[in-house]
Amino acid sequence: MNFQLTEEQQLIEQSARDFAKEYLDPITGQLDHTGEFPEAVVKELANHDFLGLHLPTEVGGAGAGFVSYVAVIESLSRSCAAVASIMNNQAMASYAIQHWGSELQKKQYVQALVKGETIGAFAIYEHGSTPGIGPDALVATKSEGGYVLKGIKAYVRNAGAAQVYVAFAVTDPADPKSLTAFVVAAGVTGLKVEAALPTMGLKGCPVAHVVFDNVAVPDTAVLGAVKSGSDIATRILALASVAEAAQTVGIGQAAVEHAAAYAKQRVQFGKPVATLQAVQTLLAEALTDCYLARLGLRSTAQLVEDGKPFETEAAMVKSFLARLGSKILIDTCQVEGGMGYSETMPLPRLFRDIAGTTLLDAPADFPDYTVAASIA
Amino acid sequence: MPKCLVCYKWTLDEKDIKIKPDDLSLDASRAKGKISDFDRNAIEEATLIQEQHGGAVHALSYGTSAVKQSLKDVLSRGPETVYWIADNSAQTADACVTANVLAATIRKLGSYDLIICGEGSSDLFNQQTAARLAALLGLPCVTYVEKLSVEGDTVKATRKLADGTEVATVKGPVVLSVLGTINKPRIPTLKQVLGAAKKPNKEIKIADLGLNAEALQPKAVHKSVKGFVAKRKNIVYKEPNAAANVGKLTSSLAAEGVR
Amino acid sequence: MSILTTEQQEIKRAAREFVAKHIIPNAAEYDRKGEFHPFLLEAAKESRIFTMAIPKKYGGLGYDALTQALVAEEWGYGCGGMGTTLAAGVLGMDSVLLVGNDEQKQRYFDAIVKGGLSAFALTEPGAGSDAAAVRTTAVRSGDDYVLNGTKCFITNGGYASVYVILAKTDPSKGVKGISAFIVEKGRAGFTVGATDHKLGIRSSNTVELLLKDVHIPAGNLLGKEGDGMKIAMMTLDLGRQLIAALALGIAQRALDECVKYLQKRFPGKMQPGQTLQFKLADMQIQVEAARESLHHTVRLRDSGAPFSKESAMAKALCGDVAMAVTSQAVSLMGSYGYTSVIAKAMRDAKIMQVYEGTNQIQRLVIARAVLSPAPAAGAGQKAA
Repeated sequence: MNFQLTEEQQLIEQSARDFAKEYLDPITGQLDHTGEFPEAVVKELANHDFLGLHLPTEVGGAGAGFVSYVAVIESLSRSCAAVASIMNNQAMASYAIQHWGSELQKKQYVQALVKGETIGAFAIYEHGSTPGIGPDALVATKSEGGYVLKGIKAYVRNAGAAQVYVAFAVTDPADPKSLTAFVVAAGVTGLKVEAALPTMGLKGCPVAHVVFDNVAVPDTAVLGAVKSGSDIATRILALASVAEAAQTVGIGQAAVEHAAAYAKQRVQFGKPVATLQAVQTLLAEALTDCYLARLGLRSTAQLVEDGKPFETEAAMVKSFLARLGSKILIDTCQVEGGMGYSETMPLPRLFRDIAGTTLLDAPADFPDYTVAASIA
Repeated sequence: MPKCLVCYKWTLDEKDIKIKPDDLSLDASRAKGKISDFDRNAIEEATLIQEQHGGAVHALSYGTSAVKQSLKDVLSRGPETVYWIADNSAQTADACVTANVLAATIRKLGSYDLIICGEGSSDLFNQQTAARLAALLGLPCVTYVEKLSVEGDTVKATRKLADGTEVATVKGPVVLSVLGTINKPRIPTLKQVLGAAKKPNKEIKIADLGLNAEALQPKAVHKSVKGFVAKRKNIVYKEPNAAANVGKLTSSLAAEGVR
Repeated sequence: MSILTTEQQEIKRAAREFVAKHIIPNAAEYDRKGEFHPFLLEAAKESRIFTMAIPKKYGGLGYDALTQALVAEEWGYGCGGMGTTLAAGVLGMDSVLLVGNDEQKQRYFDAIVKGGLSAFALTEPGAGSDAAAVRTTAVRSGDDYVLNGTKCFITNGGYASVYVILAKTDPSKGVKGISAFIVEKGRAGFTVGATDHKLGIRSSNTVELLLKDVHIPAGNLLGKEGDGMKIAMMTLDLGRQLIAALALGIAQRALDECVKYLQKRFPGKMQPGQTLQFKLADMQIQVEAARESLHHTVRLRDSGAPFSKESAMAKALCGDVAMAVTSQAVSLMGSYGYTSVIAKAMRDAKIMQVYEGTNQIQRLVIARAVLSPAPAAGAGQKAA
């Protein structure tokens, strides 16, 4: 068992750290303020091969493994988790198309996604409790030579900025298992992205509902096999759990380091508050949580890289972090007291960002069930 | 088509080094290695020259066995190959020994149009390597280089000195040392990082350099390295009027030896 | 929840109505803009709710501690920021109520009864949890005191007409050299500095106060010179109960919104599974337990029994519960929670663990009380 990153992985992580320092640190505050999609930064991500990190070199990717991927996500998240979110959602789309796409779909989209010329989005959730159930469920009705999509996809990240959506619809409204994945271009008639929603944090990664108003797509728009949508979604969401965990850890680590530096120089009762046991406990627990979570997610990432089953481990990582929730930021903000509540400091932004990485978006689908199933 | 050789040092990252409060000794147990800061600029400058004029960029380093950790890092930044000497003697080598080893190696490797070093290393900043190399190799040397351009076989270097800038032109092979302001080292892309593994590296054994014992004997010996911590005296002058406070301050400074 | 009298139930109902009418519809907008809400003072004028801590004989509503807590909880339910305006206003009044002479009470309370706001200024850049490190000075000069210094993180500071300010009258004495003063808006040299933009309670006004050679009459001294810290601690013992109530309101709101969300997401015969049900149950347990703790504390106070330790406990518990429940709610409500009023509640909840004495300070107070030598026989039996 090797718990250390390989030389290459370390160099990749270092590149990501340097990238974050160079391109993210200067814009993080402003991005949080305006919430404007950071096109220039996304272009730089592409220039540094981050958008194609996980894809084969034949399609312009870097061919690096999933361990490198999560190391990059963590490094970027230490500076700007919103950009890491954009990258994750881009990767979900590009991975889906590369893995299950037809030659035509791959040719049309993968290289453009790798180059950052096309932004991708992953449209899975709905207003109802499970995709396929509820009055607004996205339904794909068979038509001559294709399908007509009608319904609403909710809380789609990168929506509005995206030129392509990987959207999941049921071909039979009475059967949630008929979930099918479709690759839909943003400009298609009947597809409307609603106004961007006001997110608590991760501002800059847009979130919006996408309305499909009788959107006609050809048969060639189906991604993978008809009715294989659940398998595709499950796998990608499992990968996303691990990637999001890396965001949580990155944000948390940045918070601990900032709070520790603050505590060392903040003098109360004649000494730096870092000398108080109460403060030491808060910092120590937060740092411990980051360390253990990182181990868990990297070990899981290694399983992914080795082509081994990993869904249970991914669920465990997600479950652990959901339980932890925002504790790391609740406690590091506490260390900084009144200053930790002031938006002149970075911690409030980190507080708002981290809450967005431990959301349980499908109440019917909690990670605990996956884990329990593995020991049933 | 200039052929460039960059000499670099693999040092400890000073930000990871902790100073032990009781005896001010250094705890470097958690320190990671890094390419010395200005050497990174040197590598970048050589790579820029190659991108503009063609030719080749090689890298060279003399260090302890830790130098092996530097190879992929260096190769991800532009050089097509890296030569390395890993020897215990590097632990205690001074500027003299370092220059002897590097010069002997360079004589073996062949001729280069530009030999580029960082102005000084991140850890010791002796600023001697370039000058000593030039002397040993019988080449001209230009230091404090802030801007570099190559025109055919002529090198034009702008030097940033304490009291102004100076432009030097050199025809033929030259040794240069560059400042941190000369360029901004690129962040290696993932493809460059992954491509580094495919580039060749070559170990050079010190025994094969034909150096005698004297050449490997350091003349400067480090006895110890300690941290420095600013100690505040926390003296507050609380006279009711400013003039009295100033008077007390100046007397106190004079007593400390400040003129 | 305590069993309430008819009068208390009526006051609670009226507060709830007020909040539903004026606070809930406006909270999000003021939070988004981060602007103070003068309209609220206008709207509250008729109910006189800002005088709830002032005794009836001075023209106030004279609510007991439990009733004040009921009102504050409703305001917290509507908006932590607007609730903070109310709660922080009471702090200054409490100081005057505790130690002010009749003339001072008349003057101070009159300003509030007439529609003014009050602020309590203890914190300084160098004096946060270490409140005794106050450096603002008050030097006696003839019939005046002259105040110099800077206060920070002062709630209502930019809009108050009367303030209670803590300053050092005797630098050689440490904690016992601090005194409390009434300072009126408009005194020469007394200005409002920078406004702080915050993670939450964004519509609450949080500012620096700058005092440069501010002359106030000696009659503005509360109690005696050197009483300042004692007054501040007694005031905070009271203020903590209101903050606890605010926190409780925030927690209850998050819980209610979470329930509404789940009912919508699992309509008709559908039920959220056990996992979700149990998380809801845990949230309900926490909120209710916190409420009982607070109500016990205020009943102790209303009965004249000591309540300092219980105040600290209630404040710590309610603040921690508000933080836990709101962040659990955001997580459970997923992206909906992250883009809704619940996200605001989570941001508002965070300060409940920090201001009016961090929950670490509360724990110090509690631990000290728990660890101190046991009193004589009969220990553990508190007067009900």
